[in-house]
Amino acid sequence: MSQVTVTARPATAEAPLPRESRIRGPLSRGVVYAILILYSLLVFVPFAWTISTSFKTLPESLALTFIPQNPTVNAYITAWTQLKPVLPVMFLNSFIIAILATATNVFFGALGGYAFARLRFPGREALFLLVLGTLMIPDQLRLVPVYQILVNLQLITPGPENYFGIWLILAISATSLFIMRQFFLTIPFDLEESARIDGAGFFTAFWRILFPLSRPALATVAILTFQGTWNGFFWPLVIMQVQSHWTLPLGLTQFRFQYSTNWPPLMAMTAIATIPIVLLYLFFQRYFVGGLSSGAVKG
Amino acid sequence: MRKWLLLAASAVVALTACGGGGGGGGNFDATKVSGTVVLSGWQASPEEGQALQAAISGFQTKYPNVKVDYQPISGDYPTSMVAKFSAHQPPDVFYVDSGVAPDWIQQGVLQPLDDWASSRGFDTTQFYPGYLNAFKGTDGKTYGYPKDGNTLAMAYNTDMLTAAGVQPPTTYDEMTSVGAAMKAKGQIAYSLSPSLDRILAFIYGDGGALLSADKKSDAIGQPGFKEALTFYLNLFKQGYAKTPSQLGVDWNGKALGEKKAAIIFEGGWLDSYMKGTFPNVNYKWVEMPKGSAGKSTLGFTVSYSIGKDSPHKDAAWLLLTYLTGKDGMTLWTQGGVANPSRKDVPAPAGKDVLVSSASFAHPWSFIPGFSKVNDAFNNAFTAALQGSGSVDDIISKTKAALDQQLSAP
Amino acid sequence: MALAIFKGRGSLGTERAQEAFAGYAFIAIPLVLFLIFNIGSLFYSAYISLWRWGILGPTAFVGIHNYQVILKDEVFHTAIKNSIYYTVLVVPIQVALGLALAVTVNQIWRGRTFFRASFYFPSIASSAAITVLFIYIMSADGLFNHLLQQIGINPLTFHNQGDWLGHQDTAMNSVLGLNAWTTSGTMMLFYLGQLQSIPTEVYEAARVDGAGPWTAFWRITFPLLRPAHYLVLTTSVIGALQMFDQAFIVGSPDGNPNYSLMTMVLYLYNATFRQFQFGYASSVGIVLFVIIFTATLIQRRFFGTADWAAAR
Repeated sequence: MSQVTVTARPATAEAPLPRESRIRGPLSRGVVYAILILYSLLVFVPFAWTISTSFKTLPESLALTFIPQNPTVNAYITAWTQLKPVLPVMFLNSFIIAILATATNVFFGALGGYAFARLRFPGREALFLLVLGTLMIPDQLRLVPVYQILVNLQLITPGPENYFGIWLILAISATSLFIMRQFFLTIPFDLEESARIDGAGFFTAFWRILFPLSRPALATVAILTFQGTWNGFFWPLVIMQVQSHWTLPLGLTQFRFQYSTNWPPLMAMTAIATIPIVLLYLFFQRYFVGGLSSGAVKG
Repeated sequence: MRKWLLLAASAVVALTACGGGGGGGGNFDATKVSGTVVLSGWQASPEEGQALQAAISGFQTKYPNVKVDYQPISGDYPTSMVAKFSAHQPPDVFYVDSGVAPDWIQQGVLQPLDDWASSRGFDTTQFYPGYLNAFKGTDGKTYGYPKDGNTLAMAYNTDMLTAAGVQPPTTYDEMTSVGAAMKAKGQIAYSLSPSLDRILAFIYGDGGALLSADKKSDAIGQPGFKEALTFYLNLFKQGYAKTPSQLGVDWNGKALGEKKAAIIFEGGWLDSYMKGTFPNVNYKWVEMPKGSAGKSTLGFTVSYSIGKDSPHKDAAWLLLTYLTGKDGMTLWTQGGVANPSRKDVPAPAGKDVLVSSASFAHPWSFIPGFSKVNDAFNNAFTAALQGSGSVDDIISKTKAALDQQLSAP
Repeated sequence: MALAIFKGRGSLGTERAQEAFAGYAFIAIPLVLFLIFNIGSLFYSAYISLWRWGILGPTAFVGIHNYQVILKDEVFHTAIKNSIYYTVLVVPIQVALGLALAVTVNQIWRGRTFFRASFYFPSIASSAAITVLFIYIMSADGLFNHLLQQIGINPLTFHNQGDWLGHQDTAMNSVLGLNAWTTSGTMMLFYLGQLQSIPTEVYEAARVDGAGPWTAFWRITFPLLRPAHYLVLTTSVIGALQMFDQAFIVGSPDGNPNYSLMTMVLYLYNATFRQFQFGYASSVGIVLFVIIFTATLIQRRFFGTADWAAAR
C-alpha cells in the first residue's frame, strides 16, 4: 500500500464529491437505501405517536391509535396557559443555559483538545487521564459537595447569579475535550509547522488553521452539548432556586403526578421542546459532509 | 442592691431572648410577626394547586404582615431537599412524607414543635392519632403536623360485580370466594400491588406486624404475618389477582378504569384520577375487608414541618399552624383534593369511608432506614411471584433487613 | 512568554518551554473547573467514606467499616453484576450499530440530510421522555405486544406473560435494547465526524491497488478510525457502567423486579437520597470509580496511545 501524505485545504460544505461512490464504503446502493428507510420508520413511530397524542383528549390519549378521533388543540392551550413559569420564560431559560454551555464547550474543548493532541508538555498524558477521570464520577455522588460550594459562592439565589452557577457546572465537559483531541490527532503535523515557520504563535496557529479545519468535530461538540443541556434535568433541578428560573424539563414534570399523567399537554410540550434541537442539528449536520479534499499529494 | 440588679439583668436578658426567630417562651404576639416565609413541597396537580392557593390566600388575609413565597420543587423532591438541608438552607415550611419522617427526624433537619404548641396555644388534640404519631420522634417530640391524611379502602366496579352476581367481600375468606366466582366468569377480580405499602394492611388485619409496639425489635415471627402473606400471594397464584404491570397498566387505578379488574385497594387519590381519566366507570368505596384480627388499614400522610435551620421560624410557625389548623385545613380539603387529618374538619362529600377508616388505620411510618426494609420486601415478593422464592424467603429477607436497621447505631 | 503564544518564537532552546507554557495555558480553565467541581468531590468523597456521615455532617469516625459493609451486601453484589452485564452487552451493540449507521450515511448522497437527522433522532429527545414512551410501548397491553400478536405470536405464552419490564428475566434486557438504540445515534455522530477526516485519495489509492469495497473498509477505513474507536469505546463503557436514568424510571428506586434493575449508580442514589448515609454512599462512589478507572486503563492499553503524538 503506497504511503499517502496530503496537504489539506479546509473542508467546504457541499463540496463536489463523487456521487454514491462505492469507493467510500462497502455496501451496495439498494441495500443501503433499504436499511435506511426501514430504520427511519422505526425512529419516527414514537415521534408520530407523540404528535398524535398531543392532539387528543386525556381519556383518548391512552388508546393505541395514531389518528385522534376528535383532534383538538386543547393540549397546546393548556401547555401555554397552565404552566408556571410560562412557556416562553422556560424556553428562554433553557436557551440561555444551553447557548452559554455550548459556547464554552466548543471553545475550551477545541483549545484544550488541541493542547492535549498536538502540544508537548510534561505530564500531558497523566493530565488527560485526570480529565477522563471526571467522567467517572456520577452526578449523584458529587451533588452534595458541589451544591455546598455553590452556596458558599453565593450562586444559589433567586437572582441572576443563579444562571452563572449552573453555567459553571456545565461550562466544559471532558467529553468535549475528548472528541476534539481525537479529531486533532488525525490531522498531519505539517499543517502547523508551515504556519509556525512563518512566525505564528501557538494560539494563532490554533485559531487560524486548526480550529476552522475541525468543523465536523466542532459540530459534534456543539450538538451534543446543546442537546445535553437542553434536555438536562438533574443540575437545573438542584441549582435553580426559584420557579422563574426553571428550564423546560423541570416544567414538563408539572404534567406528571404521583398516580397519573396528563399525557396530551405533556406530549405537546415535548414536541415543542424538541423543535430547537432538531433545527440546530439540521443546521450543524452539513459539516459532516466532505472529507479533507486534497491539495498536493506526495508519495 | 446587688440582688435587685441581678434580677433586673436576668429579666432584660429573658425579654431580649424572646424576640426574633426561634426563641421559645415569653409572650408570643402573632400580630408582631412580619417578613417572608418560603413554602415548599412537591408539585401538585392543578386542582391541588388551586386548593393550596385558596388556603394561602386565607392565611394572607389573617396575617397581612407575613408574605408567603411559594416555591415548589419539581420532579425529584428528596434529591433537592437533601441538597438544601446539607447546605443549611432549607425552605421554612415544607412537606415531609410520613415514610421518610423517621429518617429526617433522626438526621436532625426538622424543628421540634411541642414547646411552641404549649406556649403559643396550638391545639393538637384534634389530629387523628394515627396521623400525628407518624411525626413523633423516638424522643417523643413532635416534628410536624399532618396536613391531610389518606387511608386505604376498597374501591370496586359496581357494574362488574353485579354482572358477576357477587357482593363486595367483607372478609379475607370472602375475597377468595369472590375471586373464584369472577374467575369462573373469565374475569380478573383484583388488581393488586406487589408491594409492602398495600400488603401490610392485610398483615395487620391478621394480627401480624413488622415491629413491636416500642419499635425496638421486629415482630415478623409472630402469627399473622405469614398467614396474611400466604393469603395475598395465593390470590395471584390462583389467578384471582394480577399485578398492574401484568395487566399492562402503571397502577391499580388504571386497571379499575380500563375494567381490567373489578376491585382495587387504593386511597382518596383515586377519585380525581377517575373523574379526569375514566369519568364513565361506576365505582364505590367501602372499608377494607376484615382479617382474623379485625378491621385494619394503612394511613398515609404528609406533614408540614419547619426546617431546623430555617431563618424565619416565627413566621413559619404561623403558616404551619394556620395550614394545619381548622380554618386552613378546611380551605384545603373542602374541594375534595385531600382528606382532613383533623376530627373537627368535616369530610368532603363522598369521602366518608376514607375518613372514617382513619380510626383503625396504622401509620405508614416506622424507623430510620426503613426504605431498605421496604425494598427488601418488595423485591423478595416479586421474586416469589415470579417463581424464584417462597413466602419463607420473603419473611427471612425482610427480617434480615429489619434487624440490620434496628441494630444500626 | 505569554506573548509567544500569540506571535513569534524565541530561540530554539526556549521553544519547548514556550510550547509547554502554551499547553498548560490552554488547558488551565477546564482543569481548574474540573479540580473544583469534579476531582475535588472525589477527594471529599474519599474522606467522608471513612465516617458515618449524615445530612448535616459527620457523626462518627468508622474507618474502613463502610467498605466492609458494602463488600458483604448482597444487593451491592447484584448491582455490580448487573452493571457489568449491561456494559458488556450494550457497548458492542451500540458501537457496532453506530459505526454501521455512520458508514451507511456517509455513503449516500440523495436524502442524506434526512437520514442523518432521523438516525440521530432517538438521541435528541430527552432521556426521560423516551423512557416513558418506552414503558408505554412495552407494557403488557402495549404496542409491542399488539404487533407481536399481529404476526401470530402470543406474548401470554412467554415466560414473562408479555410483561417485559415487570418480569425479572426480561426487564434488564429490555432496557438494554432501548439504550443500545438511543445511544447508537451519538456513536454515529462520533464516527461520522471522524470519517470526514479520511481523505478520499485513500480510497482511490486502494482501488488502484485492486482492493474491493469490503477489503477497503476493513483494511483501510477501520484502522484509520482508531482515534474514533478509542473515543467511542471509552465513553460507552464509562457511560454504561453508570447507567441510572432508565433503571430509576423503569425499576422505581428499589431496582424491582427482584433487583434485576439495580445498577451501581442506582444503589448510590438510594444510599444518598433514601437512606441519607453520605459516608456509606461515598464508599460506593469510590468503589465505582475504581472499577470504571480500571476498565478505562485497560482500554487505553489497547486503543489509546495517540499514535501521532507519541511519535513526536
